[in-house]
Amino acid sequence: MAEFVEADNAEAIIARIETKSRKIESLLKQYKHVEALKTALEGSPPKTRDERCKSANWIVVHRAIMAIKDIDGMLNALDAEYYDILMKYLYRGLSTGDRPTCDQCLKIHEKLTERAGLGCILRCLTDTLNTV
Amino acid sequence: MTGTRKLQPLIYFEEIVHLGNLALRFMLYVWSLEAGEWVPTLVILRLNRAALCVQWSPKENKFAVGSGAKTVCICYYEQENNWWVSKLIRKRHESSVTSVAWHPNNILLATTSTDGKCRVFSTFIKGVDTKDSKAASPAETKFGEQILQLDLSYSWAFGVKWSPTGNTLAYVGHSSMIYFVDDVGPSPLAQSVAFRDLPLRDVLFISEKMVIGVGYDSNPMVFASDDTGIWSFIRYIGEKKAASSNSSYSSQFSEAFGKFYGSQSKSATANDASESRGGVHDNCINSIVSLSKAGSPKVMRFSTSGLDGKIAIWDLENMEQELGNQV
Repeated sequence: MAEFVEADNAEAIIARIETKSRKIESLLKQYKHVEALKTALEGSPPKTRDERCKSANWIVVHRAIMAIKDIDGMLNALDAEYYDILMKYLYRGLSTGDRPTCDQCLKIHEKLTERAGLGCILRCLTDTLNTV
Repeated sequence: MTGTRKLQPLIYFEEIVHLGNLALRFMLYVWSLEAGEWVPTLVILRLNRAALCVQWSPKENKFAVGSGAKTVCICYYEQENNWWVSKLIRKRHESSVTSVAWHPNNILLATTSTDGKCRVFSTFIKGVDTKDSKAASPAETKFGEQILQLDLSYSWAFGVKWSPTGNTLAYVGHSSMIYFVDDVGPSPLAQSVAFRDLPLRDVLFISEKMVIGVGYDSNPMVFASDDTGIWSFIRYIGEKKAASSNSSYSSQFSEAFGKFYGSQSKSATANDASESRGGVHDNCINSIVSLSKAGSPKVMRFSTSGLDGKIAIWDLENMEQELGNQV
């Protein structure tokens, strides 16, 4: 059901991520944190096995996550369809072990769990096909 | 572990005993009531792994057993030799078969497996089933033929059931998802519904458009399909409102979350000394069984059993009062 993108297409994906990254920088400068996060989460390449693509996208999402100051406001503005993918990135953040990243991810995790419920966490844990 | 099913009107009663490690020593008995006494008949299933689920067919002339050996046994009674014969569906399953369900036509069988897929097979047996003039395709008259495979879930699949007319299939995935497939056939309409809380283990159609799911939240959930055919979560039975964020965690969760969030947590963990989610069951509900007459289009009474060792009978006649009577 999932088509995995082969390595030679990875270049195209990474190029797309670069473009996205520039867009996100400009959004952050305008203090549009929620837009930035949405852009980062959109088009996440879960259906590729290529680690470079995943890492490239993670860097972009990480940037957007760390820039968030008002977590409640962000979650209010974020549509429910993004909850599952955001949760996956939060777990990736928590796995880095880096103190500021973990602090931020933990804060968002608490709020996101309140909103999205334990089912969201379950979906992240059980989905071994589409990883970030 | 034993699984028991009681059926009317033939009053067959069935028990499977399987011991996980001693794979040689498992048996399946068909019990029949003779002169007021229950008499068991041993059925040789030819399996080398545990039996996980069993269901009688609608006409009660066959039963299906799903096993950890990645096979499904279909057993039927051979009058001449006075014993039960088993035929195995060996193909297709890549992992344990967790649940089986019969279509009302007595031929199609849906299975779910820990490989995440839901499949529909034909169990047509010459001499037991007669060729229906309106059978859909030649595939349906070949035993063990796979009619359909559904790839909707990434994780283990459980609890498949057909709707009363056989038009719709529902099954659950371990990722807190429930899947509905309308118009099962060459062009099915699949819907995946994600929900907030812990995964389900079993489902029951109480009408063509309403499904009750039971699972790790110890509280049955109601799903319904609206006029446009979209399925969604409606409510819990036995809980008046959707839980607010703080009251939804039992004390165990509160402690765990307290450790997780450490100094960052605020009032979220301060309350809920002993509040548990479900009123009736304290632990995961494993199965849900209809108590209404078999084949009736609406189910008004059903029973649930769970890991807490309780069996509860639920009556939907007084749905507003959200009754659950413990047995």
